[in-house]
Amino acid sequence: MNQQFKDYSQVVSQYIGNLPNDGGDWLVAQRSSAAERFTELGFPHAKLEAWKYTGIEGLLKQGFETLDKSPEFAEHAVLNQFLPEPVAGRLVFVDGVYQADLSTCDAVGITVGNLRSAMAASDRTVLEAIGSLSGVGDHGFAALNLATVHDGAVIRVAAKTSLEQPVELLHMATKSAEGQALRSRHLVMLETGASANLIERYVALDGVAYFNNLVCEISLAQGARLTHQRVQHESPKAYHLSDIHLGLQADARYHGINAAVGAAWSRTVIHNRFLDRGASCELDGIYLAGDGQLTDFHLDVDHAVPHCDSRESFKGILHGAGKAVFDGLIQVREQAQKSQAHLHNANLMLSRQAEIDTKPQLVILADDVQCSHGTTVGQLDPQAVFYLRSRGIDEQLARHLLCLGFASEVIDRFESETLRLQLTEVIRQQVRG
Amino acid sequence: MLTIKNLTANVDSKEILRGVDLDVKAGEVHAIMGPNGSGKSTLAHILSGRDGYEVTGGEILYKGQDLLRLETEERAQQGIFLAMQYPVELPGVNNMTFLRESMNAIRRSRHEAEIDAVSFMKLVREKAASVKFDQKLLKRSVNAGFSGGEKKRNEILQMAMLEPYLAILDETDSGLDIDALRTVADGVNLLRSPERSMIVVTHYQRLLEYIEPDHVHVLAGGRIIRSGGKELALELEAKGYGWLLEEAAA
Repeated sequence: MNQQFKDYSQVVSQYIGNLPNDGGDWLVAQRSSAAERFTELGFPHAKLEAWKYTGIEGLLKQGFETLDKSPEFAEHAVLNQFLPEPVAGRLVFVDGVYQADLSTCDAVGITVGNLRSAMAASDRTVLEAIGSLSGVGDHGFAALNLATVHDGAVIRVAAKTSLEQPVELLHMATKSAEGQALRSRHLVMLETGASANLIERYVALDGVAYFNNLVCEISLAQGARLTHQRVQHESPKAYHLSDIHLGLQADARYHGINAAVGAAWSRTVIHNRFLDRGASCELDGIYLAGDGQLTDFHLDVDHAVPHCDSRESFKGILHGAGKAVFDGLIQVREQAQKSQAHLHNANLMLSRQAEIDTKPQLVILADDVQCSHGTTVGQLDPQAVFYLRSRGIDEQLARHLLCLGFASEVIDRFESETLRLQLTEVIRQQVRG
Repeated sequence: MLTIKNLTANVDSKEILRGVDLDVKAGEVHAIMGPNGSGKSTLAHILSGRDGYEVTGGEILYKGQDLLRLETEERAQQGIFLAMQYPVELPGVNNMTFLRESMNAIRRSRHEAEIDAVSFMKLVREKAASVKFDQKLLKRSVNAGFSGGEKKRNEILQMAMLEPYLAILDETDSGLDIDALRTVADGVNLLRSPERSMIVVTHYQRLLEYIEPDHVHVLAGGRIIRSGGKELALELEAKGYGWLLEEAAA
């Protein structure tokens, strides 16, 4: 561990040292403080409560490196991944590298682009937004992301713009991602009264091993609305870490629909800060874990101001020797009266070897609030399996239909029909009863 | 169609069936009546292949083959249908999907082409109307939040869709008011045909006013103690089971 940490630190200082000194990368100051932060924090370990059940030994053993190399890929392979639905804009990253030729945006009132270009153009809004919600990083990987960030998406929706079609943010990993640590950082900013629908996807072409270390900052100004459909369908050998930071101004509404169905190891952390009254945050999620897979969701919803609502509903299907971690923290601070917060986590265990560590946490300091939480861990109902079999359906299909039924409550919330069909198919193929 | 010979069976090592004989020919409707705990539901469950029952002796021949060697789904594929006393709720499993998957599973087992979406929709609407099943419920999860009557009607709808050769109705009348009972019975009567046999398991004679049986059997203490025509049901209604049980004991 120590040697590895030294190696990483060295890589980080080299990376920062090699950055152009001509002002093209005005993150230098932030990179340096993030590098210091990384040295201070080191890698997360099991003694930290938030990392107790999510080991990183396997990740460190892989020794992923950050290489500034251009991906090699066939264009049609990327085009094949595009959603068939019409989009207001599309941003494409292949192995973490922005693909301007494949990215488009024709709609009025929205600007999409990449972080590097924004840096080159010395875009002040972007500069100020970086780290404004996430800080320098509350764990080693997040600090590492800021210190060595390569590129990322920048999506801005102008005040009162209402986009009917979704914006697609596609990440694809190809063979050339093998052994690489990809560090992207996304910024999504909706101005006052803007409304948008973002579809963020992580897909891979081949069974490649890489580490996607992401940070995403989303700020919604007063009355802005964002529907965020997010699918992690990385390569089965990949490692995926997402830190999502939400900042919601008065009357803003965020609805995140999450699916984590790929990767050998994945962790998604969603932090939500209510910055003013009347805002609402809804989070739905479905996760799968089978042999050799670990899937982790950490939610951190902070009611620091009164009159805000949050709802979280996450469902997990564990099969084979799959392992999942769910940690849902909701804090309602003393001054946050008239808050509503409801959290639910349900897990379907299809085998004896599967494991779930689930922890809903409600910390309520205000007295005039409506809050609830619930967790279930269960198996398929044998009566239900029998019922389907008695109608001619064989046991395997019966179990599949029941698993899909369990997941459908979340899957049906995806607005994109293509995503609904894809996720249904993934469950059909991956889940072995 | 179905021949049961000297069937004995245990539940949790307790002997429930103590030698049941029954012969059901194509097109016949047999009623099996009897007091609570007589083994009626056990018999229905064994026919459908439910777990938890240990057959200790005797045999069951369905269309000439040994039924007990078949898995539950194979029995359904070969035309056996059990309308359940307590239909199970399947949250998240769409009723339409359920019906279509069932139909196609049965068709595949018979090397027939799967039904296409348009024909299926047409068929399901037609059948739902014939058994007075609310079309709106087709789009909902199977039985989830359905009333008792709606659940039973859903069973009859499934039966109408799957067109079994042998239908077993396990206490289909339980928990139904008289109107619901009548619509369920009407649905069953529509399905009566010379190729289709039915076994109607019931505690009360009431259902048999609407579904007229060809034969009535009284099951008590794990044996059929009396068989007769439909008039036997009326006699039981008037006199209860006591006299028969006494006769059997004597």
